[in-house]
Amino acid sequence: MWKAVRVGAAAVLAAALAVTAAGCGSDEPAASDEKVTLSYAVWDKNQVPVMEEIAAAFTKDHPNITINVQLTPWADYWTKLRAAVTGGAAPDVFWMNGPNIQLYADNGVIMPLSDKIDRAKVDLTVYPKALVDLYTFEGKVYGLPKDFDTVGVWYNKELFDAAGVKYPADGWTWADFKAAAAKLTNPAKGVYAVGANLAGQEYYYNTIYQAGGNVISADGKKSGFDDPATIEGLRFWTDLIKNKQSPDLKTMTDTAPLQLFESGKLAMYWGGSWNVSEFGKNEYTKTRVDAAPLPTGVKQATIIHGLANVVSAKTKAPAQAWEFVKFLGSKPAADILGKKGPIPAYTGTQDAWLAANSQFKGKVFLDAVSYAVPYPVSRNTAAWNDEEFKQLTKAYTGEVGVEAAAKELATQMNALLAKE
Amino acid sequence: MTATVTGTADDVRTAVPAPVPARRRRRWRHRGAEAAWAYLLIAPTGLGLAVFYLWPVLQTGYFSFTEWGPFGGHEWVGLDNYRTLAADDEVLTALRNTVAYTLLGLLGIPLAVMFAALLNRPRLRGVSAYRALFFLPVVTMPVAVAMVWRWLYNGDYGLINYVLSLVGVEGPHWIADPATALYALVAVGIWTSLGYNIVIFLAGMQAIPREYYEAAAIDGAGALAQFRRITLPLLSPSLFFVSVLSVIGSLQLFDLVYVMGGSGQSARANPAFPRIQTVVHLFYDKAFYTNDRGYAAAIVMALLVLIVTLTAIQFRLQKRWVHYG
Amino acid sequence: MAERPAAARGGRTATHVTLLIGAAVMVGPFLWQFLTSLKTLSNAMKVPPTFTPDWRWSNYGDVFELLPFGHQILNTVLMTAARTAGQLLFCSMAAYAFARLRFPGRGLLFGIFLSVLMVPPPLFVIPQYEIMADLGWLNSLTALIVPGLFSAFGVFLLRQFFLGLPKELDEAARLDGAGPLRIYWSVMLPLAKPGLLALGILTVLWSWNDLFWPLIVNTDPEQMTLSAGLASLQGQFQTDYPVLMAGSLLASLPVIVLFTVMQRHFIQGIAFSGNKG
Repeated sequence: MWKAVRVGAAAVLAAALAVTAAGCGSDEPAASDEKVTLSYAVWDKNQVPVMEEIAAAFTKDHPNITINVQLTPWADYWTKLRAAVTGGAAPDVFWMNGPNIQLYADNGVIMPLSDKIDRAKVDLTVYPKALVDLYTFEGKVYGLPKDFDTVGVWYNKELFDAAGVKYPADGWTWADFKAAAAKLTNPAKGVYAVGANLAGQEYYYNTIYQAGGNVISADGKKSGFDDPATIEGLRFWTDLIKNKQSPDLKTMTDTAPLQLFESGKLAMYWGGSWNVSEFGKNEYTKTRVDAAPLPTGVKQATIIHGLANVVSAKTKAPAQAWEFVKFLGSKPAADILGKKGPIPAYTGTQDAWLAANSQFKGKVFLDAVSYAVPYPVSRNTAAWNDEEFKQLTKAYTGEVGVEAAAKELATQMNALLAKE
Repeated sequence: MTATVTGTADDVRTAVPAPVPARRRRRWRHRGAEAAWAYLLIAPTGLGLAVFYLWPVLQTGYFSFTEWGPFGGHEWVGLDNYRTLAADDEVLTALRNTVAYTLLGLLGIPLAVMFAALLNRPRLRGVSAYRALFFLPVVTMPVAVAMVWRWLYNGDYGLINYVLSLVGVEGPHWIADPATALYALVAVGIWTSLGYNIVIFLAGMQAIPREYYEAAAIDGAGALAQFRRITLPLLSPSLFFVSVLSVIGSLQLFDLVYVMGGSGQSARANPAFPRIQTVVHLFYDKAFYTNDRGYAAAIVMALLVLIVTLTAIQFRLQKRWVHYG
Repeated sequence: MAERPAAARGGRTATHVTLLIGAAVMVGPFLWQFLTSLKTLSNAMKVPPTFTPDWRWSNYGDVFELLPFGHQILNTVLMTAARTAGQLLFCSMAAYAFARLRFPGRGLLFGIFLSVLMVPPPLFVIPQYEIMADLGWLNSLTALIVPGLFSAFGVFLLRQFFLGLPKELDEAARLDGAGPLRIYWSVMLPLAKPGLLALGILTVLWSWNDLFWPLIVNTDPEQMTLSAGLASLQGQFQTDYPVLMAGSLLASLPVIVLFTVMQRHFIQGIAFSGNKG
């Protein structure tokens, strides 16, 4: 009986496969005059219009190529992308970030671009070196930098005024921050100084480097979480929760810190340069908030990260996909991006971004580049990122002391790094 | 996964043998032609089930002995997945949570019986209006239901804690607090299925002849005695049906946990998540977030064992308490 | 009734009070959802909460900005319609054969169908996903529809229904020389309307509300169904509660409206599947 079922199923499948295979045609690179549609996956809804505008500019010169911008919200982006790659339905061109680049490159999911870059004589020195390095794996470049972002403190002027606290100034320190936090917290009004979000890039990675610690060693082989300085960087946040100057993790699970900030419940929000578009559009924040640099601990530090555009190794139109990625990394594309999007990676195009966001002190984020630390990654970043959440949740809820949690995390992370 | 909830209606029904035609049937001239027609009529569903359901079950069984790379491709690893699984805290916690959902979910049954009994009172006005209101959550999209309750349960700005504050109680962060999250989710599950169960029970109660109650009343039996001696025994097939559905549904809980607890990174940053993670959510996470499909297959095989066991126990026990009129 | 009139009246009041409390708990969340959907974020997060809406209808417009909501409505409608039509046709064909025709292996085949019902859906999902990937169907309406065309449950439900119809009907048709196909189409199907309606209603309900499968196969937002799209909106941390409430209300509204219009059939369909199925 089972055999019959199996044979039957196999036959049906085989027939169906034959039909689709015949319909798909070959995988050879299409001739340049053939009409091609490229899918382009992105995760930021705020950037969809500007990406579409850039795509339109590209299509003007390449009338046979249509670009289909696909938005997958951040929370699902990597899950869905991996599933799509596994299923052979990967988008032709997509956004890549630091934590994932090595995994994707190592598994041959994305196309190495070095040969194409050489042939087309693309100048890589127009991008910040940290970003080009981030997207270089085993000597080959896999993506052209699109933008960069640094982290700063967004603050609510109204709440600062109400508490009689001076706005954060350049060169302010952890001590200044803590003093301000104490004054800004107002339990009667349900106002907290800041939300100690359980997130690396905007929160504890910054304080870890400010405290003189590190997340991962420079060679990417050893965890830095057992370093006493790193633990100080984490304690910065757990103390804020303990002192009730930040909502606890339960409150932030119920209501995301961004929502709390946008409804006037948080005086400060550690966020990136990418928040300008959200805060510029939001009715509540557009008149009430501004940006300041992160406070200085033992040293000054902010995490720098940037996206790159990469090409799927399995794209049906590699030539066209490369043309598009090359355009995305060019000055004309950066000029459009700067006006309506994040800070473009192309050197010399950042003034457009500043001008477009003049209601905020955007220069804070550009100045931060001078003391910025690259986003910590390794070959399988996701594996130890999971472990970070698992262990640090316990420290943030107070279930385990921050030191014990960090040491446990270091042990687990070292085990994972050894397996890479 | 609402589909399966009612999908099992017939597990129960087909336990009762189908009526056999008493009379000899008049046949078509060619028996072969009749059979050919039958196969032809069955073919679409038969092939569809074979390709999309039967074959996949066998494959999942096979996958549970394999390990997958981050982007597909798999190799045979024998019993490795099962060995890992037996010692995996995450799996054991998810199993424990799932069993807790299942047992607590059964509390919805007495509640539904009570409302059905109230609606079954003779000459009660507005029965259909009540029934419709109770039924509303059944037809509402589970994702939407979960979002609404997530908002109601909000520890700081939720309606529930506001109502509690009126009577001087400070409510917890219902779904973000490990101590309450599981119960909060169970309550939503019961809320969602209450209307469905009421409809089943009410139909069962309405099928009980009024004369039974009249006879019992003449014998001097009060309302409670009537309920215990007539309604409950005669309702037992419906009770059995609903309890089997409830167990199978709870064992496969996913939608509520996915929306109220989060998935991927948001789940990992949720302090209550380990307390509400279900087996199916863990399966989803392993199969489609970390892409560990071989291990995911092993997890879902464990779920199969759990479902078969619990359902078998229910069928075994039914002989003791279910009366088929 | 044996109860005394006064006691009966008292009991009746208590009954109504209990039922009203129950109904309020059932409907209250929907009212709060609607109220919140018309508030600004700041007002939604007032402590104590406000009970007057800000009439901020733009929250509904925001849903369409955050998601390709129009596409998703269309996908959901098409998926639901195709699955329902397919199941009604295929299931009734098989159900008729199992209920009324004789053929070798009937018991065995029926047993195999039955076995499908025993298996929890997550067991199908990984291989189903692989099949979709192999066929190049990911991110398409086809992927949403195809596995849902076949239902062992539908076959059982309709088979039970066909078994309950009087034998004389098809006997008479046979005497008139009608073949199995004619009898299925012109005699049995018209008589099976209540059964078909029950299956149709259940299929509409499950398809519209289905999350697990659409979530997995269609990752391009334009190809998502409403439930998966809505779930992704929630995952997106920017989305605030008033907008979420607006989106969730819009997504569930069509089935709620359908339910209100066809209430009697819904209830009968559910009762039928539970008690007579």
